[in-house]
Amino acid sequence: MSKGGQSRTRLLLVILIVTSLFLVTLDLRGVKLLDSLKQGMQNVVSPFQRTANTVFSPVKGFFSDISLLGRSGSQIEKLEKENAALKLELLERQDADVQIDQLKNILDLAGSAGYKIVNAKVISQGSYQSFAQTVTIGSGSNAGIAQNMTVLSEYGIAGIVKEVYPNSALIQLASDPAFRIGVRIVNSQQIGFLTGRGERSGVLQLLDNSTDINEGDVLMSRGSIANRPFVPGVPVGYITTVDNSAGTIAQSATVRYYTDFSKLSVLAVVVGGPSTNPGDALVPQKPRPIPTPTVTVFVTPTPTPSN
Amino acid sequence: MSIRLIGISSLVFLSIYIVQESIIAQFRLPGGGFSILVIFALSWAIMSEREIAAVMGFSAGLLMDLSQNTSGPFGQWTLIMLIASYAISYLGYGDDNFFGGALGVVFSIVLGNLLIELLFLISAPLLGVSVGSFTQIFFTLFGTSIWTLFLTPIVLPIFAKLYKTIFQAGSLA
Repeated sequence: MSKGGQSRTRLLLVILIVTSLFLVTLDLRGVKLLDSLKQGMQNVVSPFQRTANTVFSPVKGFFSDISLLGRSGSQIEKLEKENAALKLELLERQDADVQIDQLKNILDLAGSAGYKIVNAKVISQGSYQSFAQTVTIGSGSNAGIAQNMTVLSEYGIAGIVKEVYPNSALIQLASDPAFRIGVRIVNSQQIGFLTGRGERSGVLQLLDNSTDINEGDVLMSRGSIANRPFVPGVPVGYITTVDNSAGTIAQSATVRYYTDFSKLSVLAVVVGGPSTNPGDALVPQKPRPIPTPTVTVFVTPTPTPSN
Repeated sequence: MSIRLIGISSLVFLSIYIVQESIIAQFRLPGGGFSILVIFALSWAIMSEREIAAVMGFSAGLLMDLSQNTSGPFGQWTLIMLIASYAISYLGYGDDNFFGGALGVVFSIVLGNLLIELLFLISAPLLGVSVGSFTQIFFTLFGTSIWTLFLTPIVLPIFAKLYKTIFQAGSLA
């Protein structure tokens, strides 16, 4: 490359780096210059996501099965086509059944606490690149969804609404490393903060260091002012490990979320909070052991024959 | 690079971005999955001159910043992709290039992908982005590298052919 060419490349590189740093500075200073562009891009991508979700939803886990079809002779091909159609129908049915189950559980959960909710399908999973945990749902501001609303799964807290677009919304999952929620322990009523870690477990930090916490203790959301971002009384998770290391300022513990973030297909956004605090009404029931029937055998000794 | 080439390349980048956001994003793949846009940008950067690679990296990063799924400030991915694309083109350009052969290109894309993730992890604390626990980061880095290693040999011939078609036709026109 000639000397002139090299200096031109350097100049271009410097210009691009300065532009990138300029964009970062603008964003960090709160100048939302490119927000409308971002929203416009999401409006373009959203119909594609919706279509792809409709197409791939029943076959997400069975992609390999479908790709094997249609490789043999005409007769087999015909039968396989029929088989594939039936399989697809069955998968669609199974997929619909799973969604109905999730929806029913969400409605039960929301109904018990008196939350006003808007249900939505998950149309896209988040990107791994930023180590963030997000999903996109197929309802947005047109359905009454706004930023910083609580999002429920069938088992409890799923996350909060991070960004809203007319027909879609970005949900920050409770497993996201940037997620923070105020919680209280059901039995002791201790309060603390739970932080996501990028997986199904989070870290609980209590504000008071004097009382004990135990494995299995259930955590509920504490609620925020005007119910945003969090409505009170939503099941969050349970304590799996207590950190008892000496010298710590605040007591901490590892918490397992009730929600399985890898299996989200339907979510509910709480658009209206409860009129009264539901308290512990939504604490999940512990599985009760099925009693085993005891069989009692009475033995009557036969009299010994006397001679 | 003519206006026509810039237009066609932009359309190709946009199409790959839509594929990533609408189709690939449907599947929650084990180990974090892969980014077809990153693989595409890196493979085109290897084949290009440094200044074109820098522009490509900048464009791909800008698209990634426009994605609603990315965390961190706007411009972070633009900067990271610009540096990675320029670096990979710098190492791959000329007769004494670093890669030598298809296998070298595949491994350099995997390393490029890893470099991008590491740059993100380094810049994240400076820009106030949370990245999660150490084990989660480790599994994501490992998982994405494996996915990229598995996928790159499959898509590289398609991307190379696309590049050849657009840029050779462009230079003849």
